[in-house]
Amino acid sequence: MTVELLIILTLVLGLVSYFMGRFNKVYGAVVTIIASMFVFISVGYMANDILDGSTFNYNAVKYLPVFATFTVSYLGIFFAILVTFVFAMVSFFNPFFVEKYKYPAVYNMLYIFSLAGVLGVFFTDNLMVLFFFFEFVVWSGLFIIPLGKSKKAAVSYYAFSTAGSFALLYAIFIMRDVAGTYNLYAGLASVSGTTQGTYVMILLSISAFSKLGAFPLHTWLPAAHGNAPHPFSPVLSGALVKLGAFVAILALVKLAPVGDLQSVFGSYTDATFLYASQYAVAILGAMTIVFGTLMAIRQDDAKKLLAYSSVSNGGYILVALSIGGSVGLAGGLYHIIAHALASAAAFLAIGAVSRVTGTSKMSELGGMIHKMPITYMVYLIAIISMAGIPPMGGFISKWLIFQAVIDNGLILIAVAVFFGSIGSFLYVFRPLAALFLGQELPQHKDKAKIPPFFMLLPMIILSLLIVYTGVFPNYILGFINDVMAELGVDALVIGKYTIQGPNGVLHPTLVASVFGVGVLIAFIIFIVLKKSRKVGLMDTYTAGNFIYTEELMHYSLDFYAPIERLYEKYINITEDFYKKLENKVVDFGRMVKYFFFTNKPEVTVFWIVVIIGFLLWGDL
Amino acid sequence: MLSTKFSPMSKEEVDRKWWEIGDFFRRNSLWMLMYCTGCCAIELPPAMTSAYDMERLGMGPMATPRQADVLLVTGYLSLKTLRRLIYTYEQMSEPKYVVGFGSCTINGGIYHDSHAVINQLNKYVPVDVFVAGCMPNTESVMNGFIDLMDLIKNKKANGWKDYHERNDWYKANQKAALGEVKIHDEFHE
Amino acid sequence: MVDMLLMILAGVGVALFGFVLQTSIAGVNRKIVGRIQKRYGPKWYQEFLDIFKLLSKRSVTHGWIFDFGVIMALGGIIGTAMFMPITSSLMAFPGYDNFFIFVYLIAVGMLGMAMSASGSGNPLASIGVMRALTTMLAYEVPFMIVVLTIIKLTGTSSLSELGILQQAGGDFNWFVIALPLGGIVAVISLMGMLGKKPFVTYIAPAEIASGPMVEYGGKQLGMLFIMHEITVFIEVSLFVHLFLGGAENILFFIIKYFAVYTALNIMSSVYGRLKIDQVVLFFYKWPLILAVTQAFIAIYLGWVI
Ligand code: SF4
Repeated sequence: MTVELLIILTLVLGLVSYFMGRFNKVYGAVVTIIASMFVFISVGYMANDILDGSTFNYNAVKYLPVFATFTVSYLGIFFAILVTFVFAMVSFFNPFFVEKYKYPAVYNMLYIFSLAGVLGVFFTDNLMVLFFFFEFVVWSGLFIIPLGKSKKAAVSYYAFSTAGSFALLYAIFIMRDVAGTYNLYAGLASVSGTTQGTYVMILLSISAFSKLGAFPLHTWLPAAHGNAPHPFSPVLSGALVKLGAFVAILALVKLAPVGDLQSVFGSYTDATFLYASQYAVAILGAMTIVFGTLMAIRQDDAKKLLAYSSVSNGGYILVALSIGGSVGLAGGLYHIIAHALASAAAFLAIGAVSRVTGTSKMSELGGMIHKMPITYMVYLIAIISMAGIPPMGGFISKWLIFQAVIDNGLILIAVAVFFGSIGSFLYVFRPLAALFLGQELPQHKDKAKIPPFFMLLPMIILSLLIVYTGVFPNYILGFINDVMAELGVDALVIGKYTIQGPNGVLHPTLVASVFGVGVLIAFIIFIVLKKSRKVGLMDTYTAGNFIYTEELMHYSLDFYAPIERLYEKYINITEDFYKKLENKVVDFGRMVKYFFFTNKPEVTVFWIVVIIGFLLWGDL
Repeated sequence: MLSTKFSPMSKEEVDRKWWEIGDFFRRNSLWMLMYCTGCCAIELPPAMTSAYDMERLGMGPMATPRQADVLLVTGYLSLKTLRRLIYTYEQMSEPKYVVGFGSCTINGGIYHDSHAVINQLNKYVPVDVFVAGCMPNTESVMNGFIDLMDLIKNKKANGWKDYHERNDWYKANQKAALGEVKIHDEFHE
Repeated sequence: MVDMLLMILAGVGVALFGFVLQTSIAGVNRKIVGRIQKRYGPKWYQEFLDIFKLLSKRSVTHGWIFDFGVIMALGGIIGTAMFMPITSSLMAFPGYDNFFIFVYLIAVGMLGMAMSASGSGNPLASIGVMRALTTMLAYEVPFMIVVLTIIKLTGTSSLSELGILQQAGGDFNWFVIALPLGGIVAVISLMGMLGKKPFVTYIAPAEIASGPMVEYGGKQLGMLFIMHEITVFIEVSLFVHLFLGGAENILFFIIKYFAVYTALNIMSSVYGRLKIDQVVLFFYKWPLILAVTQAFIAIYLGWVI
């Protein structure tokens, strides 16, 4: 099976699912499961082969035009296996949600199409093919998102994605100009370190920022993730956003950083400096972290909250990738995995809740744990990882990122990184407290029940993987070392169970087992003592008052009011900026329309001739 | 599972031993929930602060009934507060003790003929120690606490068990005073 | 395998030691605070009596998450304490006493407690948790910046190695003196961590009925008390190892520990309380500025006393 054949087959399966979906909604959705499992397993085989060092030729092209070349690199495999895994896991949710869409068959088809697009992006070495598949993913998403709650979300998604795509396109043109070929690696290598390289880096960074939802190009992400159909949000956040990380790696690792500060300031102090471009991206990443955290704290919709947490985690990825070096890069790559798994699991858990309750607003939910305990555990494990607490995967990556930040003495960025890390406790706890815990609200009491087995299955697999990445990270870190070797970065020093950072050793397995011992001791203490008397949730301390209304005893609205008060005046700055920009664009459009597209065609033709003449002036 | 070969104690005896050990801790660390309904409550601040310092007996104020061991009913109880008092008492974790302050809790005191207050507290909740006086002075309050500790030591502070055993009787008295406890007030309709 | 088991046993020993040490010192401190308030104060072992009394009572439970959270809280904290070095050479897991493990593993315990408190269904508990988390957001960042400075300067994040490095430079190479601004920040942050006044916002007995603790009684409350004692042990020991030159032997450790804890207690007994937003604003003003200034001075200018 070559890459080309895989992509073509995926596209065909997409069409099959469309026609199946026309025939029967649920069968169409089942096809998406089969297709994405098939793709995941095929990519798994590729990964297996590439790790074995066998030389099966995945790159052959037979059916597509010859310029559509593919190559299976470690980097591509790394991303592809992660993303297809997320797709495969999430696809199990599709059959349970088809009832809710207006066009279920279209949803199924686009779901598979975006999977195909992702494969194309990660496996091609041709810049134009990359661009084509990049756009393909954007377009598939564009039509899926409005099937959820809001049409406007799709528009803003499209606007920002287009900005990213155009930036990518210009970067491609520059590389083509310099290298004379559309080959990705040759193009990047030829511009690296030159003046054009700076432009390419800026353009690729814009593209990465817009895809990753990083500050200041983040406004689309919460709207899109929060309003997309429930099964598509985890895909967006766990998989498609990672396209941005892929582009960011191309821009930040493959291209040499510019702006040598060490030679400027190095003589004044013993401290070492990074390159200016690294600082610039890291600062934007740090702002993304702070901004995402502050916004996530004040959301009421659980999905929007998780979306802002994706923004914030995108910031971590950017900070890590921009610092680079073996620790930083390994931290960034590991964070991509950890966040993809955690955010997919958390979104799925919230999706499972809103499937039965019809809402994901925290102020309208409460006490779901009593009817959906497994969903709760999945969410709990996911947020422990998201907050970077051991023994889950997020801790490993945050630890590596902290090591990198400290090792380079980035004080102000450290403020943001630590702020985001503590702030994540705040926001991830909020759905836990308001949505799953607290009083069991009567309006959802009868509706809520344990989700069907096929919804639990992917959630449980994801949770187990989150624990696995936190307890035994070294197998995956070994693979990351291969990726880094391909990128020309030194390998991270790992032992059998230990990870060596620049200023300390981490033994995740030991941490996890010691935690287990602690819990065991606590459990023994608990179990030998007298058994407690079970009382209801409404039998709580109320200063002697009799209260029979669950809502009155449930604290979920404006959870962090005291801290929100401190910054709520300043949050709309970027939104306002884009609003103003939008108005300007609309004004400009009106003006263009007024001058050029008048009722008289001859005027229009005149202006077109003038403009073409102006553009061709030099060449004529 | 205890080996019977080396310890011939029966299960009851073992339980009793544990209970005695528990009583030692319980009487040396009495946490109070103050139900300050009447004027007797004014005696508590001097008992707590530097004049008499009840912390040296291991006593201290607590915020909620769940955490507390001893419920202090300081004075007269109107029917409205009685309902809350019973609710609060039932929320406390066992073993729990009650101390009644002043003549109001013993026989109604100067309010004995009021239509709004109850006269005898131990008809509604089991009271372990009464501190007589109107109001009792602080020494006698402290004395009452030491009496409670002695009662615990001698296993005589069994009001909470009595509340289980004669629950019907207490409930009947409560009902007679309050009527059916069904709350329909302006907040809950 | 066998030495692994021995290490774990040693770790449990450390946790137990921490519990006994902190509980005794807390009792002594209650007496000291009593004397400050012109009282006689309780017995020095009063804290033990309180905890064992709680464990002997029959409590109520609000469902499985209420109990599970408590177990997770105590388990997480015991696990964290097991990594703590007592002196710079005496610890259960040599080489793995990484600073970040303490900061983040302690969070599991906090999360467990927060979860259990919210699971009780009492809104006051959720409010208390909200305040605790908000306070944490305030004090943690300045503290981490100071620790960043130390780690960057020394190139290690292992507590025992940091202790040895400070001892090697003589007694007054302690970081609380070498980095004076950072030392001030660390003391302030430590007061926040321990929930001492003026930063005690989440335990408000009269306002929100003791916040997270509102629904606990009996064994659950007893376990949370144990957890609290061990947490204090971890936080104060962190300060001793990071800023006061660690400890050459166990006696020094106890002396330093006692001095730090008592000093903080005495300071705290003369303050009132701040509101939560005041706490946040306070920590993001002076302590953060001082910490960042200290970091710049130390890392870029190399000025270390
Ligand atoms: S006994 Fe006397 S002092 Fe106490 S409440 Fe009754 S009237 Fe007031």
